[in-house]
Formats: sequence, C-alpha cells, structure tokens
Amino acid sequence: MTTFALAIAIFAVVYVFIIWEKVHRTVVALAGATLMITLGVLHQEQAIEGIDFNTLGLLIGLMVVVGIAKHSGVFQFVAIWATKVAKGNAIMVYALLAVITAVFSAFLDNVTTVLLMVPVIFVIANQLNVHVKPFLVGTILISNIGGAATLIGDPPNIMIGSASGLSFNSFLWNLGPVAVITGFVTIGILLLWYKKDLISHKDAAEEIAKLNPKDAITDWPLLSKSLAVLGIIMIGFFTHSATGLEGATIALAGASLLLLFTLNDPEHHLQEVEWTTIFFFSGLFVLVAGLEEVGAIHILAEKLLEMTGGDLTATTIALLWGSAVFSAAVDNIPFVATMIPLVQDVSEIARIPIEPLWWALALGADFGGNATLIGASANVIVNGMAEKEGQKLGFLSYMKTAVPLTILSLIIATIYMYLRYLV
Amino acid sequence: MAPKSAFTVKKYMKSEPVTLSKEASVREALKTMIEKKTNGIVIVEGDQSVVGILSSWDLIQYLVPDYLEEDKHLATFESSDQFEKRLKQIGDNAIDNCMTKNVHTVREKDSLMAAATILSEFRIRQLPVVDEDSKLVGYLNRTDIKQAMGEALGL
Repeated sequence: MTTFALAIAIFAVVYVFIIWEKVHRTVVALAGATLMITLGVLHQEQAIEGIDFNTLGLLIGLMVVVGIAKHSGVFQFVAIWATKVAKGNAIMVYALLAVITAVFSAFLDNVTTVLLMVPVIFVIANQLNVHVKPFLVGTILISNIGGAATLIGDPPNIMIGSASGLSFNSFLWNLGPVAVITGFVTIGILLLWYKKDLISHKDAAEEIAKLNPKDAITDWPLLSKSLAVLGIIMIGFFTHSATGLEGATIALAGASLLLLFTLNDPEHHLQEVEWTTIFFFSGLFVLVAGLEEVGAIHILAEKLLEMTGGDLTATTIALLWGSAVFSAAVDNIPFVATMIPLVQDVSEIARIPIEPLWWALALGADFGGNATLIGASANVIVNGMAEKEGQKLGFLSYMKTAVPLTILSLIIATIYMYLRYLV
Repeated sequence: MAPKSAFTVKKYMKSEPVTLSKEASVREALKTMIEKKTNGIVIVEGDQSVVGILSSWDLIQYLVPDYLEEDKHLATFESSDQFEKRLKQIGDNAIDNCMTKNVHTVREKDSLMAAATILSEFRIRQLPVVDEDSKLVGYLNRTDIKQAMGEALGL
C-alpha cells in the first residue's frame, strides 16, 4: 500500500471509531497517531511538529485556573444572585441564566460552563417548581453560541486562533457581534417556545427571596485570588496583539500564578486537568499531520475549490454550511483539526483572503454543533447529567427544538458574513 | 493469653445475616433496616450467593442527586421539599441501582486480623462471610470486631 492510501485508511478508520463511540475517542486517536508513525507515514519529528502545543498549553492553563477558581463558589454565586434578582419569575430567571451561560461560555470552555451551570439549574428549577428540560436545552444552545464569541470560548476557536495567528481582540471584534445577535434571537425564541412551561409556583418568590447568594462562596481568600488571576489573564488576552505573547504563555502564566498564590499541592490541581481531552487533541494533530504529509488535504482543498469555482463568496458560504452539517454529525473538534490545513490550502490555491474563511469555519463548527445531542462535547455532558436524574432529553425530541434554531443561527451567520466580508 | 486460633471470623460473626434479593425496593430495604435495627443488608441470589451489599450509607448516597454531589456550593440552595420528593421518586426503585456490587467477603476460618484489614483498607463497615463455595454463611461488622478487641484486652 502506498503511504497515501495508508494515511487515508488510518484516518478513515479513526473517524469511524470516533463516531461509533465503542472505544474511547482518546484511545482511538492515540492509536491512530502512533500507527501513522509506526507504519511510516510520518517520522516522529514530523508528528511532534504537527502537534499544536500552543493550543494544548492554552487548554491546560485555563483548565488549571478554572479548576482552582471553581472551588471558591464564585460561579454559583453569580447564578443564584441572578435568580434572586429575577424575584422568582421563571421567565426572567430563564433569560438571566441564559445570558450568564453565554458570558461564562465566552470566557470559559463550554464543558466547564455546563458543568457549573447544570447543577445550579437543577436546584433553581426545583425552587421554582418548573420543568428542568427547557433550561437544559437552552444551556446547550446558548453555551455553544456564547462560546463562538471569543478565541478561548470553544475548542474549535482555540485551534483556529492558534493556527491562524489571529488575535483575541480580532475574534471578539469579528465573531462577538454575530454571537451576541444570535444569542439574543435564540433566547427570545426559546422563551416563546417554552412560555407555558415557565410558570413558577406561587410560593417560589418567597422561597427564593430567602436565598443568600453569598452562601455559595465557601472560600473568600480563594475568591479574591481567583478573580485577580482571571483578570490578569483577560488583560493578557486583550493586549496580546501588542505584547506578542501567545495564548499558551498567557494561560500557563495565569495557572502558575494561581498555583503560587494558593500554595497548595499542585499534584491535585494538575490532576484536575482533563488529560484525556489533551491527549485526544494531540492524537488528532498527528493524524492530520499524516494526511497533510501525503498531500490528501491539498487534494481535498482543490476539490472544494472546483465545486465553488474559487469564488470567495461561494467558498465562504459553502464552508460555513458544510462545517455546520459535519459538526452536527461528528464532534466538531476532529472536524476543525482537519479543516485548518485545508482552509490554509484553499486560500493559497485560489488566492482569496483567508480571514473570512476562518470566521466561516468557526461559526459553522460552533453553531452547527448545536443541532444534535452529539454535535459538541457540552451537549453530550448536559444530556449525561440529565439522564442521571431521569430527565433524558431524547435525541429526536432535542432535535425538534435544536435543528430549527441551528438553521436560524446559520442564516443569521450567513447574512452577517455576507454583509461584513463578502459584499 | 488466648490460644492462637481463638480470634477467628467464625467465632465472632453473626450466623443469621439479614438478606434481601436485588429486586427488592428501596422502600423494603429501609423497612427491613429499621425493623431489624441494622445498617447493612447482604444481597443474595438463588442459593445464597452474595451479589451485593446494601448499607444505609448506600441509601444516603442514592438519595442525594448527583448534581449536588458534584457541587458542594449548592446544597444550601436546594429546595427544602426535595428530601421528601426525592424519596418518593426513588422509593419503588430496585436496590440493584444503589447497592455496592463490588463486595469484599471473608471466610469463616479467616483470622479477625484479616477481616479487620479489609475493613480498614477499603473503609467499609461490614463484611459478608462465605463458605468454600462462596455461599453466604454469616455477617461480620464493626461491632463484632469491637467486641473481640475488648475480649483480647480482657475487658
């Protein structure tokens, strides 16, 4: 077998196994990556060069910081406080929690956001005596939309940011507006959709008035340290186009600073990093490097351009919708890892500007992930937590709400992309 | 000093352990625990082979929803009627859902030190005692070991 066919075969088998889900995706990705080397598609040096350590460092740094910060209770404080501000009016609570989810997921990883929000949502739904499902569906949709707004909000954006060299501010400036518009439209429609489910119990207001959000904060010193470090990290990102510091440096500097501040057992905090995710990324990067090495990505890029005639508008819109369809069907992380070199090739071959293509890929992958329960990691986690409490969302019943809203978000994204970059 | 063989599981175990099948409900298990004044039930199948153990600890863990276990900041905010609501929800569920399935057991002929080691190592509170064919013959808990410790010191 030629190395060309071999690389494609390994990649295809890995993809099938990832979709099949019988073997853990990290194990599959690592096995595939090592096969790329042992069967001679890549040398070890090439494989290591293929791994984007900036993405990994950024993820690890943020995981350490959030892992420590969440022990202070600050995130729960904000959610309970919002419920209190809404005075137990279920519709207001729903809207405020959605906005909070959007903001959290813009600055934290989506999985972290939903792990923080879902328990609060259960508690609040119990207090209001309303169904929890509308809240859970909303959390999935809004976390993926909010995550699209920044470079650090969603794994696809982190990878795109690292590969493209586009700055944090550039992501915020280009993707922020469309994420905000889509977010508000989605919340509005969700409220109309679920209006009759969101009638709170008459005693709820009284019960909720008794809650003291400050009870959520279990460690005040840790709270101030975490907020200080989160602030420093944000300043680092807002200024990194001027300072030239890359994402991994900023996040890992924040992580070391918080570890220094808290002065306790780094072993424990480092164990909290989701290493399976980090290894999954590493494996994918090597697999994609294998495809690039044999020229398969280049051929795919040429095929895409054949279809769109090399026209910027057609290519961008095709990329947006194509990414959305793929991300709905498979996890958007492997998809985006494969698309990154492809987008670079497309721009080079057709001599079209690359920036709109990056935004189309990010929006397609982030928004498209909303369509099904397996489209993004956050979806899988929310459904898993719901299932444990006997509140299974149901694959098809989730899609009944999610697919129309995903299509609507993509229409908004198309109009936005067209007006801003393509006219 | 007592002879070397005196402190065996056989001597201190209870020979009539409280048992239920795994199909029994949470409600039945609670009723049994309250009536028999015990915190541990051995779950058996067919001809007395041990398939699990259910302690009041398992029931407490089952009562607390996972979302609260994952987030210690939230328990104070949980609605106060959840205790009752949740119990009514889980009352008819089979104890198969909450029993400990990975059961440590001892043999009658084992020494009390061996039994104590297992209790200490795995931080558990009771041990089913089985015969050569892994059939349940008795039950040993902390109280039994405490009794033996007292006897060893001649108290």
